[in-house]
Amino acid sequence: MDLFAQQLVNGLTLGSIYCLVALGLTLIYGIMEVPNFAHGHLYMVGAYVTFFAMTLYGLNYWLSALLAGVVLAVLGVLMERIVFHPLRHAPASNKFIAAVGAMMFLEALARVLWGSDFRSIPVIYDKVFTIGTLRITEQRLIVIIAAIFLMIALNLFLKKTIIGSSIEAMAQNRDGASLVGINVNNVAMLTFAIASILAAGAAALAGPIFLVFPSMGALIIMKAFVIIVIGGMGSIPGAVLGGYVLGITEAMGASYISTDYKDVVAFLVLILILTIKPTGIFAKGVR
Amino acid sequence: MLKVKNLSVAFGSYRALQDIELEINPGELVVLLGANGAGKSTLFRAISGLIRPSAGTIEYNGKTITGQPAHQVVRYGISQCPEGRQLFPMMSVEKNLLLGAYARRKDREGVRRSLRLVYDLFPILQEKGHLSAGSLSGGQQQMVAIGRALMSAPQLLLLDEPSIGLAPLVVKQMFETIQRINEAGTMVLLAEQNANMALKISHRGYVLENGRVVMHDKSEALAGNEEVKKAYIGG
Repeated sequence: MDLFAQQLVNGLTLGSIYCLVALGLTLIYGIMEVPNFAHGHLYMVGAYVTFFAMTLYGLNYWLSALLAGVVLAVLGVLMERIVFHPLRHAPASNKFIAAVGAMMFLEALARVLWGSDFRSIPVIYDKVFTIGTLRITEQRLIVIIAAIFLMIALNLFLKKTIIGSSIEAMAQNRDGASLVGINVNNVAMLTFAIASILAAGAAALAGPIFLVFPSMGALIIMKAFVIIVIGGMGSIPGAVLGGYVLGITEAMGASYISTDYKDVVAFLVLILILTIKPTGIFAKGVR
Repeated sequence: MLKVKNLSVAFGSYRALQDIELEINPGELVVLLGANGAGKSTLFRAISGLIRPSAGTIEYNGKTITGQPAHQVVRYGISQCPEGRQLFPMMSVEKNLLLGAYARRKDREGVRRSLRLVYDLFPILQEKGHLSAGSLSGGQQQMVAIGRALMSAPQLLLLDEPSIGLAPLVVKQMFETIQRINEAGTMVLLAEQNANMALKISHRGYVLENGRVVMHDKSEALAGNEEVKKAYIGG
């Protein structure tokens, strides 16, 4: 039971990070109808920005996270303009290839600029809370709470503001959105900006727990991809649910089966869900 | 007023529209008759800026709007209720309507007035305001689509087959509503296969065949024309 509770907390921490990354991926999928495989690498850049802001410039943790958000928003918009906008009328396979290209470019750029070393964002919040035998580090608590905060903020933006609604409108019906006066270009840029901010948030939160290295985006994008397939491509509740389910399943799998199989669990879950419900849990566009 | 001159649209080597000449004057309700595939929706899409014409011009109130993107065209006062409705199925009815006013969202008072007007036209929508648009019946979804198009307070309303798939009684109401919208001062271009009713409420009509205008006249004259009767009224 103790082990279970402990792993549940670990799973929630991991799940929080997955949720934030998968939400960005699913938002972009809704607009572009192609998964942006470079999204995990935006997460990687976010981690580096946070790392350097703290170690090189001595900014505090929250300011560094904020800076990462701003830098990533700009980078996300640039990626949309340079990589995907020119391909907006091209077939899906072209966008696929472009996304993979952007991914390789970002990783290579990180290696050239910052080297291949593993780094870690300094841990500021290192208190440990104990409830009975359950131990939670302060940082993990921050991850869980901050992720929920970001997701609530995203939800309010999408549901309660008319600008936010334009993103959902575009995802639900492109022609309908254009006809009411929504500018496709602006929505595409806005969506990339928001998705990138979420990736930066995830990276800044995860940075003190995990390691920072140029290919750190590759694994998380695989996971995020699994999550949005599980949850239903383009579905926001699906990404949240899928994120937590995967995080918890991985944590449980790691402790009850073997740590070696931690990353295999994700793909087992994927195969299972696709066998039972091939459209995902919350398939988009179902009436 | 809207003036379409020499308009052609091509998809690859297929010519969907050829040399279309059409105009709508202030206060008019104009009907566009044509079978499936005649090019009605293509013409609508071209006017709204969803597709680019290969030749010709579209003028609105003396200004050339050819090739302008759709999100800009609605800001000039031309609003379309498109074929297939193109609603936001997972959003509530009210949100669909409010997004219809996206282009004039800063005019809060005006948006509220428009919403009132739409609810007066279609009281059932107010009742169902919080349900998702995708869960409504076909006729109600059609009301949402027309309502959404009205929310931008258009001077020119393009209605692409609003009666399609509706029960006969609902069709009758729909046409009465369209007539009321027109009488309130909005120009209407109505694409229809249901020529009988459409010719009764409209002032003038155009007949589209294989991407060309083959006939245009006053509605009474078209209603009495033998060829039109044979092809579109079935009498």
